[in-house]
Amino acid sequence: MSEYLLEMTEICKSFAGVPALEHVNFKVRSGKVMCLAGENGCGKSTLVKIISGVYSKDEGEVVFEGKPIAKITPAEATKLGIQVIYQDLSIFPNLTVMENLAINSEITAGKKLVNRRQWEATAKEALSKIGYHIDLHAKMGELSVADKQLVAICRALLFDAKLIIMDEPTTALTKKEVDALFKTVCQLRDSGIAIMFISHKTEEIFEISDDVCIMRNGKNVYAGPTSELTPKDFTYYMTGRELTDDHFVAKNISKEPVLKVEHLSLKNKFEDVSFELRKGEILGITGLLGSGRTELALSLFGLERPKKGTITLNGKQVKITSPIMAQKLKIGYVPEDRLTEGLCLQQSIADNITLSSLKRLSNSFGLLKHQDIIDDASIWKEKFSIATNDVNKFASTLSGGNQQKIVLSKWLSNDLDVLILNGPTVGVDVGAKQDIHALVHQLANDGLAVIIISDDLSEVVINCSRVVVMKEGKIVGEMTGDKISEDNILEIIR
Amino acid sequence: MQAKFKEYSNKNRYSVMLFGLMILLLMFFSVTKGETLWSLGTWNGIFIQFPEYGIMTLGVMFCFIIGNIDMSFVALGDFACIMAVRYMAGHVTEDMATGQVVGVILIALLIAIAIGVIGGIINGVLVAYLNIPPVMATIAMQLVWLGLSTALTKGYAVTGVPALYTEIGHTMLFGFLPVPLLIFLIIFLFSLFLLKFTTYGKRLYMTGTNLKAAKFSAINTKAMIISTFILCDVIACIGCMIMVSTMNSAKADYGTSYVMRVILILVLAGVLPDGGMGKIFNVLLSIVAIQIIASGVNMFSQLNSYYASLIWGGLLIIVLILSTKMNGTGIKLFKLKKQKM
Repeated sequence: MSEYLLEMTEICKSFAGVPALEHVNFKVRSGKVMCLAGENGCGKSTLVKIISGVYSKDEGEVVFEGKPIAKITPAEATKLGIQVIYQDLSIFPNLTVMENLAINSEITAGKKLVNRRQWEATAKEALSKIGYHIDLHAKMGELSVADKQLVAICRALLFDAKLIIMDEPTTALTKKEVDALFKTVCQLRDSGIAIMFISHKTEEIFEISDDVCIMRNGKNVYAGPTSELTPKDFTYYMTGRELTDDHFVAKNISKEPVLKVEHLSLKNKFEDVSFELRKGEILGITGLLGSGRTELALSLFGLERPKKGTITLNGKQVKITSPIMAQKLKIGYVPEDRLTEGLCLQQSIADNITLSSLKRLSNSFGLLKHQDIIDDASIWKEKFSIATNDVNKFASTLSGGNQQKIVLSKWLSNDLDVLILNGPTVGVDVGAKQDIHALVHQLANDGLAVIIISDDLSEVVINCSRVVVMKEGKIVGEMTGDKISEDNILEIIR
Repeated sequence: MQAKFKEYSNKNRYSVMLFGLMILLLMFFSVTKGETLWSLGTWNGIFIQFPEYGIMTLGVMFCFIIGNIDMSFVALGDFACIMAVRYMAGHVTEDMATGQVVGVILIALLIAIAIGVIGGIINGVLVAYLNIPPVMATIAMQLVWLGLSTALTKGYAVTGVPALYTEIGHTMLFGFLPVPLLIFLIIFLFSLFLLKFTTYGKRLYMTGTNLKAAKFSAINTKAMIISTFILCDVIACIGCMIMVSTMNSAKADYGTSYVMRVILILVLAGVLPDGGMGKIFNVLLSIVAIQIIASGVNMFSQLNSYYASLIWGGLLIIVLILSTKMNGTGIKLFKLKKQKM
């Protein structure tokens, strides 16, 4: 048997002709932690799905425990000892911890009746494997993300896992919880299990991993021991460029704030939030998931109704009750979830781009000319270099980055004072990410007031001239200019 | 030439399929009942019969495009007709001048349309504001309207339709164009115009494809939903008023079988209640195809009306299976691609 548990050689995979993975090679050793690193949209998730049998590879070879595996299904992957802990954790929130732990093995064993004692025994056995204590009868949905994660790990261990893959497990964790998670990971590693840890956070990777595989645009650009890398090399491999001087510097900030939010509160979401926004600046609002950042944005776009506090636009106090009103007040919002909130996938690119400016494109009787829509969309296609030869094609034919450009175009084709971007580059490849950032910089310098809401700290640091940090519904910190750095933000968040 | 046809048929699978279906049907009935099929009477019948439910189909189409469904339209239409016929019966007297009768008829029509508007608003509010699943909401409303009509009429047909009204329904304009067909054509052109050339139509399709995204794009989705129900129910009431002229009366349960027939036509035309899909020309083709089936089946004297439900139900199931296959990954007959994420 070779010293490697899992060997992936020359893996290729493409979706509808668009390559997602090109000749990826890496190896995982038992009893070691291997980090799979890369920016959003570089193909990490696709790779994981190939290992776990969700997708099938187009080319290449997968060798597990010395045996080549031609094609596997998720069930077979589980049998082999491959367990994936996904970001969404795949748990049943309405069931208890015990039920969540026991249900899979009970179902696999073909049991038709529920034996509570048996379930409890299974659950206890699972928890004891990592020496973790929790109330077995607590509802899963009420646990913290960290606890959910540990339960998911325990469940994975029930299947005699040899390889545990963790997909960005630290995204929504506090520093303390991350430490606890790392302790568990080390414990698992020492017991001989191979861990594949997916992340894009430099410090975590250097702290925990033995080997690292860095991916960029579907190719792996580095694979080897972590000790041979410096953090600087690492960043270079990740992004493909030296991160130096493309920070946004605000050039023409207006004297009067265009938007003023005072003591805004929404029950159970955020409390007493106040900030100002001026033309020409890019304000970052950051914080962990559930810190109230998205709800705050929705309140400014008329989709949430804050009970207390005031919003003042251009010196006039306003109540924003619907997106239609927000549009009239010249506020645009690019939503967090592009696929469900941003796009009509099964309609044409042109229709999507012009969706919120149909009034402008029609005459006073509400009549539309198809050609006007095409022409308007083509302008944005050129301006944003959207990768398509025909704007009549469905929006679903484009990659994530290009789809995001459509959503942006949809709002930019309106006359705006304030543009709110929620997670503008989630799942967007590096090239498109740079395009989007550059465009936002230019828009701000042309006098637009921009808010970027993001938990991607590097994005916040590069793009924002001012950053507001939210935690548990409150603004807990604000910084400007040189003070903005990932470390400073993390300090406040944790 | 061949390549062009291929491209065309790729883009318009449903149209090609419907044409094929129509030719197959005509061939089948030609072989089995050729003489009856190609007689003038049969085709006259076809063009007189389909406008009734053809009009209703155009109305329900709007609901389907925005991703809803309406099960209440026939019951609502019957109720509207009962009210309209009652009004006509109460106000038309033997010695009235034609002009006065026309006035009464017009007011009766307005009553029917007003009831359609009210029904549409109720459906729309239930779905858009109270978030009740459209199937449930409109089935409940169907029962409400049916119940109201039955209570009002004790289940009897309401008679007293002025002779003039019945006459209009049977008039052939210019000797060949039945009035119901003319009304159908007017509503068809109106719908075509609305869907193809207005911002309303564009918003309708986009909202049907992704309601949430439409909302985030500053479209008043609630108003859109309510407006489609109003359109649907008003058009359905007009359809039912045509039924009144053929039946010479109104009754709580006239045309109840049209609910399923309308759904069958729309699904066959590729206008699925998932929303955002379908072309109005295919709906036209589909209406004609279904009418050919209806008339064809009538030609077989062995298949009496007791078999009607069986035939329509079976057809609906087959069409539903086919259309699901066409959109899913099973058989790739249709170009919709599942999003990979």
